[in-house]
Amino acid sequence: MGTEYKINKLDTSGVGPLVDKHWNELREAKDKGMKIAWCSGPMFIYPYATPNIASHFMAGYAAYCGGRGMADEVLEAAERFGEMRDTCSYHRLHTGMAAMIMNDWPVSNPQVILPTPDLLIGGRFCTEMSHYMEAIHRRFGMKTVTIELPSARSRDDLPRLEKFVTNQVKETLIPAIEEVSGSKFDEENMRNIFRSWKEACIIRNKCWEFFKRKPSSWTLWDYGVSIAPIFYAMGKPESLEYYQDLLKQLEERAEKNIYAVHPDGEKYRLYWDGWLPWSFLGKVIRIMIPYGAIPIAGRYPWEFFSHPDDIDPEADDIIHEWIRLIYTSPNTLSYYDGPWGGQDKIEELIETYSIDGMLFFSSKTCRMWNLGQQEIIDNIEKKYGIPGVVIDGDMIDSTMFAEDQMRTRIEALLETIDARRK
Amino acid sequence: MEEIMKGFVKYTSDPYSAIEEWKEKNQKKVIGIFPMWLPEEIAHAAGMLPVVMWRSNEAITWGYAHVPPYNCPMNKSVVDDAVKGKLKFMDGMVFLRECLQSQEVPFIIENNMPPAFEEYLYMPPIYHASNADLEFTRGELERLRKSLGEFGGEEITDEKLNESIRIYNKNRSLLRRLYDIRRKKPGIMPARDILKVVWSSMLMLKEDHNKLLEALISRLENNGYEPVKGKKVFLSGCLCIHPQVELLDMIEDLGMIPVDDDIYVGYRYFANDAEITDDPIGALTERHFIKTPVDPARGEVEVNWGKELVDKVKRLNADGIVTLMTKYCPPHLCYYPDVKTVLADAGIPEVLVEIEHEIISYEGVKTRLQSFKEMLGGV
Repeated sequence: MGTEYKINKLDTSGVGPLVDKHWNELREAKDKGMKIAWCSGPMFIYPYATPNIASHFMAGYAAYCGGRGMADEVLEAAERFGEMRDTCSYHRLHTGMAAMIMNDWPVSNPQVILPTPDLLIGGRFCTEMSHYMEAIHRRFGMKTVTIELPSARSRDDLPRLEKFVTNQVKETLIPAIEEVSGSKFDEENMRNIFRSWKEACIIRNKCWEFFKRKPSSWTLWDYGVSIAPIFYAMGKPESLEYYQDLLKQLEERAEKNIYAVHPDGEKYRLYWDGWLPWSFLGKVIRIMIPYGAIPIAGRYPWEFFSHPDDIDPEADDIIHEWIRLIYTSPNTLSYYDGPWGGQDKIEELIETYSIDGMLFFSSKTCRMWNLGQQEIIDNIEKKYGIPGVVIDGDMIDSTMFAEDQMRTRIEALLETIDARRK
Repeated sequence: MEEIMKGFVKYTSDPYSAIEEWKEKNQKKVIGIFPMWLPEEIAHAAGMLPVVMWRSNEAITWGYAHVPPYNCPMNKSVVDDAVKGKLKFMDGMVFLRECLQSQEVPFIIENNMPPAFEEYLYMPPIYHASNADLEFTRGELERLRKSLGEFGGEEITDEKLNESIRIYNKNRSLLRRLYDIRRKKPGIMPARDILKVVWSSMLMLKEDHNKLLEALISRLENNGYEPVKGKKVFLSGCLCIHPQVELLDMIEDLGMIPVDDDIYVGYRYFANDAEITDDPIGALTERHFIKTPVDPARGEVEVNWGKELVDKVKRLNADGIVTLMTKYCPPHLCYYPDVKTVLADAGIPEVLVEIEHEIISYEGVKTRLQSFKEMLGGV
């Protein structure tokens, strides 16, 4: 009889209150005389640093709705408004919410409704992130600033892209924030966020060390839900406290030889590419666990400032520093996010975390990473002999998630790994 | 007339052979330009033939090993053609960051069929037209001028570039005249022929196209015109790719006459000239930031596509709009609900037809268009 594998999740329950606190603060902000900004892409740091602006960022709201099982109702509202299902589900989530507000449609879970913004900030990392801002602007007409944030085809392009983005931020975004907030941009506050955030990232990276252990002490899903404190509580003490607690748990597990998979650790260590499927994290891992398979690392969750030593809160130009981190720092989110740099990053993760196989999650409505996934699988398979498959679905839209399709492809991947092990 | 059309149709019926034949005869380089924002003038000024990449008329097969089915038809088509070796006649290719999907196409091309010359331009959206945007765009275009000049072995001077802009402006002006004629004399040419005239402009040497166009326009202006009965419709959308001619035939067969459009292989392609100045790169930069016709991919909040369409339909006294949406095109998908709302508020009838690489069911489309025609009045 084969081994009966069971998941042994870390205690990540500390995330919930942090998430609730973030959204509650946003809901209460107007009563406190604050302004509201909605942000897409990595430009949220600038309103975060502005004391009288409360802000949310697009992907965070989508993860919130998806993770709490609240997305379907909002997506249905979007469809009722006229959105088509091929449209980015994160876009539909926001326009669905907007439709609910505009039309005063009944909502079974009032938590999905956010206060309408005074300022829209589109960080056009993904071009659709700007389209969503345009759509919200067309409905409500508030001030809108969009910053073009191209992902880079080549490392050689990074310095000039960094300069371009910095110039845009200084020319259009900072003045807009100052206009809406009615005060000069608070650079010292931004430095304080950097100081605290850097500390949290350093502890977070110590946690990442436990992914190197074989068997692993935790799974990518444990870390996936733990991304929230980096964003929701960026620069706040609770972010650091969360990661300190996480590290303590991991150290205890290591000391007592407790693994992420019962009884004796994972049989397959998988790389996960693309978005995390926020609405379906449980479903996906329940497909893997009976085989002893777990996701260990992924390009997207590693995007979030994997080189904290390179974060410089004392940089001469703190406005530029954030953009430097995205472009020319070792983290170079802008390069790793595209297929060219993505392949470099995936290779690094495969080597660092002893990966056995690759799952490339291809979202049917977010086409950010879809092109090039098959090429990357082929290239990596040739270089490392590690197989990979593409699985398609969506991050939050349950109409696009087919469990059996996913199971079949994951089984095929695991069988291929087995065949190569023999 | 038929003889003139043959000159255009030669290119649209089999662009691969026609361009290869031209290349063989003229011994010049061919540069594939990804739609929709790149100034072909720069490649033309380098003494090369710029051709705008197109949607093939062949079913996608090998391409699906590289591009998921839920990606845009333009990408699927270009990749499919490339991996099948059908684009070998292109000495170079120029790509751009325009939308989420197109920005990654060159990665697949480089992995499978790298051309001798390749350039990638980070063309920005046009929201603010800030100094940062203008300076950066200018830099990108200068980069293309330099690299194409090096590839061609000859510097692309301002004079050469201005000469190309002049030729291209003439072409745009002639195409606008053709559209004026159609607006005044609806149905003077079948929509499929108008499409072929515009599409061939993207595939042919502009000087040759200008000659054919002049002959065509002269004929249209001087020949008699028998008014065609039908409901006047405006075609909107269809970014990057050309619609199937069978679809245009169907619209006309059902008693509707396309009188104008804002589709890419249509008015959008030739709407805006670049000025002739002593700074041609500056002129091309300025043109990139022109806000009309509204381009949902280019990103803009000060102008509204729906309102622009309402104005156009009213000016033309058209009866309705046929939206042609390139399937899986996020810029159009994200904008469409708002366009539809504005049109509905203005009382303008509209119908949506999705354009895939291969239209799965013409019968389904026909039913939809028939119903639309009935809505417009008359069966």
